[in-house]
Amino acid sequence: MYQYNVDDTAFLVERVDQFEKQLHRHLAGELDGAKFRSLRLRNGLYMELHAHMLRVAIPYGILNTEQLRALADVADKYDRGFGHFTTRQNIQYNWIELPEIANLLRDLSSVGMHAIQTSGKAMRNITADPFSGLTKDEVEDARPYCELIRRWFNIHPEFSWLPSKFKMAINGAKLDETALQIHDLGLKLVRNDAGELGFASYVGGGLGAAPMIGPEIHSFIPVEDIISYLESVLRVYNLKGRRDNLKRLRIKFLVREHGAVEFARLVDEDWQYGKNDPELKLNMAELEKLKGDFALPIEPLDLGDFKDTIDLNYSIWKTNNVRAHKVPGYSIVNISLTQLGTAPGDATSEQMRMISDLADKYSLSELRTTKRQNLVFPYVRNDEVHALWQALDKSALASPHQGTLAHVVACPGADYCDLAKAVSIPIAQQVQQRFDDIDKLFNIGPININISGCENSCGHHHIADIGLLGLKKNEEEFYQITLAGETLHETAIGRKLGRSISGTEVVDAVEDIVNIYLDNREEGENFVDVFKRIGIAPFKEKIYG
Amino acid sequence: MVEGGEMISVVNEQGDTIELISVNEWVADIDGNVESGNGVVVTPDDDVELLRESLHKIPIIALDFVNFDNGRGYSQATLIRKRWNYSGEIRGINAHLDQLQFMLRSGVSTYDLQEQYKDSNEHDYSHGFSICYQAAANNANMKEKF
Repeated sequence: MYQYNVDDTAFLVERVDQFEKQLHRHLAGELDGAKFRSLRLRNGLYMELHAHMLRVAIPYGILNTEQLRALADVADKYDRGFGHFTTRQNIQYNWIELPEIANLLRDLSSVGMHAIQTSGKAMRNITADPFSGLTKDEVEDARPYCELIRRWFNIHPEFSWLPSKFKMAINGAKLDETALQIHDLGLKLVRNDAGELGFASYVGGGLGAAPMIGPEIHSFIPVEDIISYLESVLRVYNLKGRRDNLKRLRIKFLVREHGAVEFARLVDEDWQYGKNDPELKLNMAELEKLKGDFALPIEPLDLGDFKDTIDLNYSIWKTNNVRAHKVPGYSIVNISLTQLGTAPGDATSEQMRMISDLADKYSLSELRTTKRQNLVFPYVRNDEVHALWQALDKSALASPHQGTLAHVVACPGADYCDLAKAVSIPIAQQVQQRFDDIDKLFNIGPININISGCENSCGHHHIADIGLLGLKKNEEEFYQITLAGETLHETAIGRKLGRSISGTEVVDAVEDIVNIYLDNREEGENFVDVFKRIGIAPFKEKIYG
Repeated sequence: MVEGGEMISVVNEQGDTIELISVNEWVADIDGNVESGNGVVVTPDDDVELLRESLHKIPIIALDFVNFDNGRGYSQATLIRKRWNYSGEIRGINAHLDQLQFMLRSGVSTYDLQEQYKDSNEHDYSHGFSICYQAAANNANMKEKF
């Protein structure tokens, strides 16, 4: 993987120094609250219910074990011994004391980590396929492009004070693990008829109160023109995006107001200049160098007549957690951080260190994070998967729930977040308890449930088979249910089932929905297939009938 | 331009006082304004395309950065300086300390900070970063990494 060089590290240190000065000015009364808010958000720092929350970037979801250990140290030294892995491949700490922030960020910078632009009205960490470079059906490994684009948007002089936040995803695989079209800008690596590599762009997707699927804006952007293209999209947004209506700030509203065709024309009009600017051409020599940095660190392995261990629990776990690797002899292993009785995505410092030790031993010291709040070991030898499982099992990290109903995705919710209208984590735990039977889960098969505590939709409920959105009515918590959202094969926003359901009854409703699904499922069908075939009526009938 | 009952003017790099008029006032009488030696003040809401054709006749352009969170000025500066090659003075007015380097890199050449920053160390912010990751109108004294 790419390691920050001396310039990158110097840049991180300069950023911490500057933020520390801003903090001191604020504490001395020289920088008012509104401006300091805007500046601290650009450094990942939120003021939450109980303390400050810090969001640390895991750029395009790649970590080494030195970094994960540093994240564990931060959890112990500055927080309460744990961190929360988010749906956008970041990690959050919930109990940060403001005066300690500069020291914390300095600790992180020593391992090439930071919180730059993880919040605020700026370009955010790129979401990428956690299996980039590992699977067979890939068009191209997205990581070198992610790294070049990551560099480009750091403290961009022109685009750091946008109308709103701006989230990007880049996918090089055929399946979409990134949820490309719910991002402000999604880039998909494609080949044209001549076999040349480029990007298709999707602009104006987003969740929140007005979920939108980003339409395709350009079908082929040559690789070398991607930076000038991004500049044009951002310039159109920066100049024409609405700033007058707080509910219309995101680029999706600009795209919706103009329509995809007109928006594409506006981008083209600007792009004709940038395209011909040699300074804005992608640095192809650097791209080649990065391809080298990201080259697979493994060679095909001949394991002869290796036979894996047969063990019921191991086999169940393996079915749900292990994926085929493009390199013979290797596997990709998912580690679910969503255990029964704990908050989805949470990991203790002890778990982070233990996972680091295991990744050193079994995965060449590299890990990935996913939007389902898992950690991935990208390079596990097939003849070591069982030993890894045993080690995980010993530490209660061999949850076989990956991809099942018990693997709930949830934001921190009203227990931690100032914006949330309702709790997320307790509902997730109730769902897990309700379906805490591995035979039953296995029979139900792959199905996902996501919970967001408010319309900001950090739990990505719109794109789950079953989505729950927390609301507050007369001081009581309610949940609006959406069904059959998806992103992997095509992008669809979940359909609203009907009026929201009280927090005391919502888990019963989830069980009813699952039962309708099971009663109607035919051979080979998944939840979305069944929903498409039978429609929403049987679900409505059961819940409200 | 009349704002709050007073004409806005700036002292340019040469020490001359220049009166500033709005984009609309400039466009309405370009020849007259050239003769009067007026400069133009651009607010975030202005469309700088309107200045494009007569750009090189304007003695000084003042971009108003009064609103901390409104970043249109950075794109306006980039278009005027980098794309349209305006060689005159671009003044950032009502500027904020913490945004100096963004302004200067986008093509602003001189600035007037808001009163609240009068005792601050400008150098910390006008030269806050020694490394940059993108092309810009002005990357002077920065190590370019792109």
